This record gives sequence, C-alpha cells and structure tokens, in this order.
Amino acid sequence: MDFFIQMLASGLSVGAVYALVGLGLNLTFWTTRVLNFGQGAVLMVGAMVTAVLIASGTHVIFAVAVALLTAAFILILIEALAVRPLAKATGSMGWIVSTLGAGILLQGLASWRFGTQAVAFPDVLFSSADTVQFLGAYISVQYIAVFVISVLIVVLMELFLRRSTWGYAVRAVAHDNEFAALLGIPVRRVVLASFMVSGLLAGVAGILVSQVSGTVDPGFGMHLLILAFVATVVGGMGSAFGSLVGGLLLGVLEKLVGGYWSPAAAEIVAFILLVGVLTIRPQGLFGKPEAVKV
Amino acid sequence: MTKTKTLTAISFVAALFSTTTVLAEDTIKIGMTSALTGPYNEFGEGNRRAVELAVEQWNAQGGINGREIEVAELLDDQLNPDRAVQNMRRILDNEEIVGIIGPAGSGPTLAVMDMVEADGRPYMNPIAQTPVITYPDGTTGENPRGNIFSFALQNDVEAVAMGQYLADNFERVGVIHESTAYGVTGADQLAASLDKNGADEPVAVYSYNQGAQDMTAQVARLKRDNVDVISAIGLGTDLAVLRRTMARLAVDVPLLASNGALGQPYQEGAGDLTVGTLGTMIGAFSKPMREATADFAQAYKDKYGTDRWWGNDPQSPQLFMAISVSNAYDAANILFEGIRRAESTEPEAIINGIESILDYEGVNAVYSFSEGRHHGIDPDSIKVFEYVKQGSNMHLEPVTE
Repeated sequence: MDFFIQMLASGLSVGAVYALVGLGLNLTFWTTRVLNFGQGAVLMVGAMVTAVLIASGTHVIFAVAVALLTAAFILILIEALAVRPLAKATGSMGWIVSTLGAGILLQGLASWRFGTQAVAFPDVLFSSADTVQFLGAYISVQYIAVFVISVLIVVLMELFLRRSTWGYAVRAVAHDNEFAALLGIPVRRVVLASFMVSGLLAGVAGILVSQVSGTVDPGFGMHLLILAFVATVVGGMGSAFGSLVGGLLLGVLEKLVGGYWSPAAAEIVAFILLVGVLTIRPQGLFGKPEAVKV
Repeated sequence: MTKTKTLTAISFVAALFSTTTVLAEDTIKIGMTSALTGPYNEFGEGNRRAVELAVEQWNAQGGINGREIEVAELLDDQLNPDRAVQNMRRILDNEEIVGIIGPAGSGPTLAVMDMVEADGRPYMNPIAQTPVITYPDGTTGENPRGNIFSFALQNDVEAVAMGQYLADNFERVGVIHESTAYGVTGADQLAASLDKNGADEPVAVYSYNQGAQDMTAQVARLKRDNVDVISAIGLGTDLAVLRRTMARLAVDVPLLASNGALGQPYQEGAGDLTVGTLGTMIGAFSKPMREATADFAQAYKDKYGTDRWWGNDPQSPQLFMAISVSNAYDAANILFEGIRRAESTEPEAIINGIESILDYEGVNAVYSFSEGRHHGIDPDSIKVFEYVKQGSNMHLEPVTE
C-alpha cells in the first residue's frame, strides 16, 4: 500500500506540472491557433534566472518575480517575432519552425550567458529531505507543494476564463477572432495577454520542476514540453480542465507503470496514451469536435 | 624597371607562401573531438585544457624531434554520437593528422570506433569506460584493436574495486545505471565482479535515461526490494537527482557511485546530501601525490588557475581531475612519446613506439604498453572514497587502502 501511495503522490505531482505547462500551451493555442514549441525553453529561462539570481544573493521572492516577468516578456517577444508575422500567411505552418527556432535561440543564449552545465537550483519550497508519513508511506513535502500550487493555478485560471470579462474575451477570440473584433473586443491585447500569462505559467512550471530535480541546464524543458503536449491533447485542446485531467492521468500512469512494471516502460506510456486517445476520441477526453465548413 | 619590380613582388609573395606552407607542413598535427559544450562538458572541456597544456609543454621544449605540435582539428560533439561520427569523418579526411584524441564518453566513442580502427592511425581513448572499445573480445589484456589505446578507468577495472567493496560490506546490493553503453556494461561488469568476490548477484537492477528529472519509480522499487546499499553507474547531474529522490522517499542506505559521478555537478546538484556518498575513483590526486601528479597539478594551476575543473579547494585539486583532465593529459603525452620514439609520423611506427613504452611516469598511473596491453589504468590505481564536509568545502577521503 505504501508503495502505491508513493507512486501516486509522485505521479500527481509531476502530472500537475504537465497540466500547468499544458494550460500555457492551450492559452496561446486558443487565441492564435499556434502551438508554441519554444515553451520548453521558456520553462528553462524561468528556472535558470531564479537559480542564478538566488545564487548571486538576491532574495528568493525578488528572484522569482524577475524570473516570471522575464518569462512573460519572452512570450510577448515570441508572439511579436515568431508568431504574428507568420499569421499573415493563411494556412502557413511556418510557426512550427519559428517557435521551435525561438526555443533553440533561447537555449543558445542561456548556454552563452550561464554556461552549458547544469546549474544548481536551491531549495525554495522546502528541502528534498522534508517528508510526511501517510499510511506508512513517506511523501515528499516538495511533491505536495508542487501539486497544490499547480492545481491551484489551473483551477484559478479555469475560473478566470469562465467568470471574468477578460476570460469571456479570450473565449470569444478563440471562437472567432474576426467576429470578436467586430464586437469591439481588443483582439490584439487579448492575444498579447494570453502569451504573457502563458509565459508566467511556463516560468512557474520551470521553477517547480527544477525544485524537484535540483538542477537546471539549457536543454531543460524540451522533454517536459513533449509530455505536456501529450497531456493537453489527451485532455482535449481548448479545455483547461482537460489539461488538468490529461496531466494528472499521464503523470500517475507513468509512475504506476514505472513502479509496478518497469521504470524503462514508463517512457512509452505517454505515446501509448496519445495514440489510444487519438484513435478512440480524436478531440481528446474533454475537447469538443471541430466542424469545418467546406 | 616596372617589369623588374613586378617580378620582385611575385618572387616575394611566392617565397612568403612557400615559407608558410613549409611551416604548416612541418608541424605534427593531431585531431580531437570531445564534448566541448553541452551538459556533460565537464569531461570534454577538461580534456581540451589538458591536451593544450601538454602541447604547450612539449612545444616549449622544442616539440617532437624538432617539430612543433599543433591541434589542427578541435571539434565539439557535445557527447552526441551522430556529431562525433561527423567530426571523426572530418578528422580522418585530413591526411595530415597523425594522432587522434577521442570523445568523452562510451556512446560517441563506440560510434566512431570502427571507422577509426579501419583508418589505422593511433587513437587515444581518454574517458570512455566500455572495455570493448579497446578489447573487442571483451577481455582486458587480450587482442586489443591495433591502433586504440585507452586511458579510461575501464568498467571492468572499476568493477573490481566496486565489487570487492560491496561484497565485503553489504549483502543486498541494488544497482541503478544510466541506459547508455557506459551504464549497461558497467552494471554487467559489476554483477560479474560481485560473483567473482563470492557475493550474491544484485537483488535489483534498474536503469534511467540521461537527464532524467525524477527517479521515484526506480528508488521506490529499490526500497521495496529491501536493498542495503545502492550502487549507481552514471554521471553527476543524474546522480544528484538519484540522491534527492532517495531523500524524498526516506531511503537511508549508503550510495556507492561510479567515478563519472563524483564531481562538481553532483556536489552542486545534491548540496548537503552529498555528504556520506561513497564512490570509486582513480586515487592519483589523493595525498600524498606522486611527483608527476604534483607537477601536473602545479602546471595546471599556473595556466588555468583554480577553476571549476580544479575544484573548491585552492590548495588541492579535486580527485575528479583524474577522469576529467589528467586522463587526456596522459593520453596526449603517451601519443607524443610514441611519435618521439618512432621518429616518424607513420601510424605503424607510432603504434610500435607506444607499445615500447615501459614504466612511463604519467599523472594518473605509471604506464606500460605492449602488443597485447593497450590500456593504462589497473585496479591498483582505484580506491573507494567518501564525501566529507570540512567547513564549507566538500571533499573525498579514502575509505579503502
């Protein structure tokens, strides 16, 4: 039983982070129909800036604030330089290359500025040795903190999108940006805000994951991005709740397969889940099927 | 008059070009590919520094038989096998290269091995631990590849020390290793060594991918298997993740790591959890140092200062230098010594020159080579160390003789 609880706690924690990153992907997808493949590098920037600032003696709160603002600013730059220019060409898939290129550029800049080796990430949220016992199982307080923070943010974002005026505006732009503009909704500002919030979410996720791994390097984030993408597709593109369920499902399944079957087999869980869901329900567990007029 | 001036100018330019050509041709050129950048560049960049120090020292003494040494190809593979193959192709296509210093890990080294063997020019393996790199039959000391010489702490050699320590002190050994050639062969060699030392086989063996950010599944399984020690074969950053995961799951058994993990990346990643970690390592830089080792340490300090590769203590280099820096220094020196003895840059002559070396005082060991012996490090160069903290510094202290 304690083994199961440990796997479950670990899976929920990492799954909540997938959901957080997935929500960031969802936000920009809603408003621009673009998946930001540079998001993994933004996670890295959030974590790297936090680690470097704290190492240089900056107060934790100030370091985290600067890191989050940096991540948000980078997303605004990505929108302006890698997404908007390509949106003018209808049907172009150039954003795949441009957002991926932005991510590679960020990795290169981080390597140049901070070196290519992993940088130690300090204990911001408790330490690795802080554990609580539950039904005989040791559960890391870091896992609990990561889970609570991630789920809280996803739930708040869902409420914000469903209940606030800005949330209505985001959904209106997601539904039909031209019609939203006709209704007087400031589409451009909504798009920029969605990228900014997506950057903030990436920054938070980067900091939370680095807290668990203990280090961050310029290549950090790409693997996480792929898993978050899988979680988002499984949950259903366009659904914050779907991101949460997809993330948690993926995280828990990975750990249970790794724990009860084989750690090596855990690597393939994401792709089996992705293929399975796409085959049975292409719009994802909570996504709505899209009808296209021809 | 004008014609005379033109002829003079042409003659001058021609003479200049011919002088340059003679100078360029006159150097002894070597090629090197390594992880100069990337997350594992503690090995590749350290090796580059060592090779350049060796070249500088030989050139300061007149080069090899009057010819200066030049690192003509210095390429970055980031420990990526595909890039290593591209780099090696470029090195081998340069016919002026007379000797090669190889990549900083088993994956890229295995990827280039066959092309290097087919080419025939002498190749120095500074780090890659998989024994089949040097001995394709898998038995150290028998039928080496003709042109490959190893300065690495081979898996099988390290496993002797590791296996003996584990057999003497523990009953239920759990093994965790990275999923690379280095990790897989290391785990196999360790199991064989445990068997040879009369211990039971490992009660559990699990793998992880390089760069894993969480090892909960592996550590929880090891805990469920009731191991009384965890033996890890991998690199520093990943070992830090392992150590942190052990703390999270309250797994309070000793951790014995392979040499590749015992450096700055592990200390930085694991923080205070580093204390108590055991590991096998070449003991060259433990005190008292041999004269050749102390001379190297001083030369390194003079050229590069007390940098990341030197370690935290300005007075003493970290033991990790033996596998991140001085291994390549020894590799370069043996290559140059072989060329000196050969009085030629023909591959066959250089290989014969290296095989004639006996009791050469290197930094990591006293080296002897022969037609059947192409590796430099033996089990007697290895000790088990433990991380202890003194003040704010973390360092390794021997726990075995």
